[in-house]
Amino acid sequence: MPPSRVPLLVALVAGWPPAFLAPAAAQIPDTTLPPWTPPPQRPWVAVAEIAAINVLVNRFDAYVLQADWAIGAGTNSWQTNLRLGWEWDEDQFGTNMFAHPYHGGLYFNTGRSNGLDYWESAPLAFLGSWTWEYFGESYRPSLNDFFMTSFGGIALGEMFHRVGASIRDNRARGGGRLGRELAALPLDPVGAFNRLIRGEWSERGPNPPEHDPGAFVLRVHAGAQLLSDSSQSDTVRSAPSVLIDLRYGDPLIQPYRSPFDAFSVRLQTSAGSINQLRASGRLFGKDLNATTARHRHLFMVNQRYDFAKNPAYQFGGQSIEAGLHSRWHLRGSFGIRTQVFADAIILAALDAPSSGVGERIYDFGPGGGFRVEVALERRGITYVTLYGRNEFVHTVSGASADHIVSISGLEITVPIAWGLGVALHSEYYSRTSRYSDKPDEMREFPEARIYLTWTSASRPEGR
Amino acid sequence: MRSAGRLALAVTLVAGALADRAAAQRPHRSGLWFELGSGPAAVRVACAGCADVSFEGGSGGYLRVGGVVSDRVLLGVEAFGFDDETFGFTAGDTAFVAETATVAAVALWFPWRSGAFLKGGVGIAEGSFTTTPTPGSPVIAEGVGVGLTFGVGWDFAISRKFAITANAAAFITAIGDLVLPSETVDDVIATMYVVSIGFTVR
Repeated sequence: MPPSRVPLLVALVAGWPPAFLAPAAAQIPDTTLPPWTPPPQRPWVAVAEIAAINVLVNRFDAYVLQADWAIGAGTNSWQTNLRLGWEWDEDQFGTNMFAHPYHGGLYFNTGRSNGLDYWESAPLAFLGSWTWEYFGESYRPSLNDFFMTSFGGIALGEMFHRVGASIRDNRARGGGRLGRELAALPLDPVGAFNRLIRGEWSERGPNPPEHDPGAFVLRVHAGAQLLSDSSQSDTVRSAPSVLIDLRYGDPLIQPYRSPFDAFSVRLQTSAGSINQLRASGRLFGKDLNATTARHRHLFMVNQRYDFAKNPAYQFGGQSIEAGLHSRWHLRGSFGIRTQVFADAIILAALDAPSSGVGERIYDFGPGGGFRVEVALERRGITYVTLYGRNEFVHTVSGASADHIVSISGLEITVPIAWGLGVALHSEYYSRTSRYSDKPDEMREFPEARIYLTWTSASRPEGR
Repeated sequence: MRSAGRLALAVTLVAGALADRAAAQRPHRSGLWFELGSGPAAVRVACAGCADVSFEGGSGGYLRVGGVVSDRVLLGVEAFGFDDETFGFTAGDTAFVAETATVAAVALWFPWRSGAFLKGGVGIAEGSFTTTPTPGSPVIAEGVGVGLTFGVGWDFAISRKFAITANAAAFITAIGDLVLPSETVDDVIATMYVVSIGFTVR
């Protein structure tokens, strides 16, 4: 069930402004409202909603889309699935690596919108995915779906929950209030549904802590991208491109409170489809020196979600990374932000010649790697970023192969005025594949992007 | 497998009786803890293009070591091993010794004040299938990949420091291709189910 991508783009690109984009006056707490208190926990309501999601999606696919795998789901398929167990499926890359994580976000947010925290909601993503795989389809349960729906659903679900909470404003009234509720709906439909039936679309009250990230940077890019493939050196593909970078919270100025209290996400679209969606959220953080120190150092554990699909290559996965996040103070308000992280890939997917199985043209496998990023910034806004990332992926479904992926790039943004600027991005993706039964293969994919940019940012006074 | 099952049942009953006396002692575990256990198990091996799955009995054991995050959440590392001396990839075949192992980061969640807990984890997995042709030396087919584990359990406290822990768990391991003497088995997924009794120092 690939969900429509249009509402997501609409919400992120042209949606109602999140709290952090509202005028400063709107951020002043309303003293006539009571302070925020955690909502009651309703775990069994969340479980019931997961069952309802699975039944509704299955019946929609069966009655409306006439999908054979939905029509055929029943006691016979349940018996077969329980006996045979897991297999790898042959679905398209976008379905497995984006649509399923989005679907998993619905399961996860049954918990978040019923008063459960990140950790308490995480098992619900696994429960929803497991029950769907065994009972929602007549096909055998797919192990890659289980990984992507569960781990990806947790990452996207928490991110969407927070951005949704930031778009909504419980203090607002009238049409503006309704517009915010509608704008948050594509990101967090389960949360929107629960708010609707509880009368929270119009009821005034305090906002939850997720509403205000404290510090943020939003940069919207519009321009063009040029892509090439080393195996077809005379072919350069060009396409219009929109890219959005959001940094929600800043781990260097905000002590760790809860998972994803600080995250960064990049969304890139081209010709109406998602080219890239990368997110990294803080799962755990520990200050290594005082928050007032001139140079700041932080140990962090992040959960990562990666999805890259363009005409040249496909790469995505779920991973956990741990490392150092630092800011080295320069003159005035300038600084150098560095990140050095090692990661463990729970399951990645990537395409290569001879990869995949059946109709699937990409491999699945776990792995590991590292990334390094150095950025020149002023008050949290980056102007020059140099990054490199290397990943090793050992195939467990597809070709008998090991893949080494390298992604490096340089991004320069030149500010002009009123938050506007010009950006030049250069990225280089290379992949080396070592097959046990074929010669090694290496391919390179250089990419250039040129953009007009608009940047909006805020951070606490004096930080 | 049957004798192991009876032993597990007997230990559970004894632990249940002992637990009555210590049930009121909280928390479930504290500080650093470790746990060792074993029990009867079964493995189901599925592969790409295979007409059916292989399902065989065996035995499994685990070692869990961890620390307390909060009163209800424990984090740790779990090493699990499974062994079946008479495994076969086809019906009636018993020519292989199947050994699988996972090392995973696990979280134990005690949602209630009782000793009941849920377990989930992810880590690396390894599978080894050994056969010895006659005449000939042993041939080993190995695969390495990713493993998931899920389970439920119950801590029966027998004193402030010790507990008997009953577990039922599944270990899903994706270990890739296996090159056997006669064929290559693609995209292997081995799922182990184990019912075990553990001894917990907490």
